[in-house]
Amino acid sequence: MSATTLPGAASAEKKTTAKSHVLRSLGERYGLVLLLGAVYVFFSVLPASAPAFPTMANLQAVLGNIAVVSVLGIAAIFPLVGGHFDFSVAATSLVSSITCAALLSDHHAPLAVGVAGGLLAGLAVGLVNATLVAALRLNAFIVTIGTATLLPGIVQWYTGGVGITRDIAQPLRDLGSGTWLGLPQVIWPVAVVIATCWFVLGQTAVGRRLHAVGSNPAAARLVGISVTRVSFLAFVISGGLAGIAGVLLTARNGGGLVNSGVDLLFPALAAVFLGGTAIDPGRYNVLGTVVGALFVALSVSGLTLAGAADWVPNVFNGVALVVAVAISTLLARRRGQTGAEGT
Amino acid sequence: MNAGAPGPDDVVLHVEDVRKSYGAVSVLKGVSLTLRPGRIHALAGGNGSGKSTLIKVLAGIEHADAGTLRGQGRPETDLAGFTAAAADRAGLRFVHQDLGLVLDMTVAENFALSRGFPTRLGSVSWSRLYRSTAAKLERFDLSVHPGAKVASLRPADRTMVAIARALADDEPGQVLVLDEPTASLPHHEVDVLLEALARGAAAGQAILYVSHRLAEVLSLAHWVTVLRDGVVAESRSTADLDQLRLAELIAGRSVEALYPARAAAPSQDRSSARPTVQVRGLCAGPLREVSLEAHAGEIVGVAGLLGSGRSTLLRSLFGAVSPRSGSILIEGRPLPASVRAAMRAGVALVPEDRHGDALFGDFSIVRNTTIATLRRHARWSWLRSSSERAATQSAIDDFKIKISAPGQAITRLSGGNQQKVVVARWLQRAPRVLLLDEPTQGVDVMARADIYQRLRTVAAHGTAVLVASSDVEELAHLCDRVVVLRAGRVTAHLRGAEVAIPAIVKHSYADQEAS
Repeated sequence: MSATTLPGAASAEKKTTAKSHVLRSLGERYGLVLLLGAVYVFFSVLPASAPAFPTMANLQAVLGNIAVVSVLGIAAIFPLVGGHFDFSVAATSLVSSITCAALLSDHHAPLAVGVAGGLLAGLAVGLVNATLVAALRLNAFIVTIGTATLLPGIVQWYTGGVGITRDIAQPLRDLGSGTWLGLPQVIWPVAVVIATCWFVLGQTAVGRRLHAVGSNPAAARLVGISVTRVSFLAFVISGGLAGIAGVLLTARNGGGLVNSGVDLLFPALAAVFLGGTAIDPGRYNVLGTVVGALFVALSVSGLTLAGAADWVPNVFNGVALVVAVAISTLLARRRGQTGAEGT
Repeated sequence: MNAGAPGPDDVVLHVEDVRKSYGAVSVLKGVSLTLRPGRIHALAGGNGSGKSTLIKVLAGIEHADAGTLRGQGRPETDLAGFTAAAADRAGLRFVHQDLGLVLDMTVAENFALSRGFPTRLGSVSWSRLYRSTAAKLERFDLSVHPGAKVASLRPADRTMVAIARALADDEPGQVLVLDEPTASLPHHEVDVLLEALARGAAAGQAILYVSHRLAEVLSLAHWVTVLRDGVVAESRSTADLDQLRLAELIAGRSVEALYPARAAAPSQDRSSARPTVQVRGLCAGPLREVSLEAHAGEIVGVAGLLGSGRSTLLRSLFGAVSPRSGSILIEGRPLPASVRAAMRAGVALVPEDRHGDALFGDFSIVRNTTIATLRRHARWSWLRSSSERAATQSAIDDFKIKISAPGQAITRLSGGNQQKVVVARWLQRAPRVLLLDEPTQGVDVMARADIYQRLRTVAAHGTAVLVASSDVEELAHLCDRVVVLRAGRVTAHLRGAEVAIPAIVKHSYADQEAS
């Protein structure tokens, strides 16, 4: 159209947003990272926690603790991006951990078989979820609560409530508690998982299609995306990642503990939702999830070292989660806000 | 047209010198409007004309920088600081495109939602509610039972119920403001609504009518005010105005033709060539034994009323609907009932429901543009954003899409620009067959001209274009041939000089005998 028809309102919006936009989006992207830095400085300076908090030993402990939670969070992201909740990731990691430990301990399998068994157990649960949700189109919210309830029950039956800690291969124990290049060994495979998932979800056509399915399944179908196949894949990947988390859990615990893993569900989801406020605000994203997990772990460590009462970390986590969800929802809502049509 | 011919002193509402700026840019630069009883006053203008902003100011959603409003027998109000409650006090009654009716409730319950439930001894008095609602409906000649669920009403009646509810408090000097009331109505329902509005105006109701649809503006309104770049470009009677002239007023320049010229030499030489699309005896959804052909280089219209099977036909050609019987050949090859297969065969579909079926609301413009062509932007499975941006930028340039940044959320664009993005998404695939279902619904007149131009260019480059539309005028002016559907059957193949509004309408409504 000719220049005379250039919309005044549109260019007005352009000017006002262009200026504030850069600052605001920087603030949105790195707000949580800055907050993380602030928490670090605060507990490093606070007299009560200053002696122990900024030490290498404490940082190694914090990193070791976030390893499993981060992987579980990332496992939950894949279905979430595609528009489905997955509450079964933590229970899946428990099954995987027990499978790995049982193979090594009860069946004296070689380490590689134990690890492979743990991963396959995770993939199997993922396949079941995928079949129920993607192929049979059942409600993911309910199905995964179902699997999350069922799996610990099976573990209880198999183990009789007793953890499996004998004969766990030493290299696996080292992975859980040793260090390499000054960092906990367990961080290195987690870093590989983070990098891979960041790439798949954010930089590939598969990741883009999963986002499209989560955004508008009807439109996704009409641009040639197989909604069933993409959702199926998301749950299988989720199961596989939960399997990795399970093996790492066995390494960290030096065996399969019957109650471990399941209590990581809410911290993992908290990291995911906190992460939705950072890096790619308003969307679930891998790097944000890691920052979220780190934020919670550092805060809890600081509070504990500062001598806060037992209930304080719980209250802190709860508040952080609700605030994070509020922020990320508002961001997503503003992003999706309809611009004035025909102003 | 000016039937009531009210005297000059008869003013229901006078809006004077409205000004509004966003930052340094003025959107409204002194707009005035005068509404009179019994007159339907249309407000027209393209994107960015200030039309929507003016309506928002009057509704109290946006605050004007300056301006006054004076209603009949009411004190003058300053529009700076005007609120929704003040708009209500000034007698303004809005019915927006989204009617604000609860579909699962009855008509009477919907009335009570805004006016309160009459009670007796603390419990709802249904008989009183039904009686009062019935009385209000009667005033609008609405033969709707107060106990009927809104969901069971035809679309035009729903709009009328919303209007009756808006005007239910019966105050003198009310002004009814209708914002695109026909945008989501099927063609035959539009006429029902327009007739009802004309009756309301004849009874003395003042109406401010906002619409993209020029034909409606001309047939319904007595007076039209055209906004352009924030000023009143023209305010005049519609009596001696035609569609071309009105389009020119809105665009602010001579529209040689809103529609591009038709293809030079249609049909004759093509009858020998193999058609790009061949449909034989197709039965799917409401479609019964539909057969048609489309050749490269032509724009074929698909006309018909709601439920005639227009959309089903297009969706079948896109593999999104499985036919019960019949065959679809694309360039001589049978088309399997799969969207992916259709895309591989070079078919593209711009669906009717832009928000429900085409747009990814939380994607940027870039991601919405490249979603159907992801593979070509990937190297070693890494999506290169530079490549995506370049493709989007060239689509933006080709298509004159107005945006502030390619990374902008798609939802921030106007309807016309959103539709351009959806069309551009498919043009990147250089489709052999381009299917468009209601391509200009909710699209302003200038963006519409851009889209028509683009379709003609695409056809000239060897694509077969099929356009399904309830806008008969669009089909008559844009298409080389028109296929008319009625209740799932083809009632006419119009070509050449037969492609005209009367013929399309006649065959759309035609009885069984036609074939």
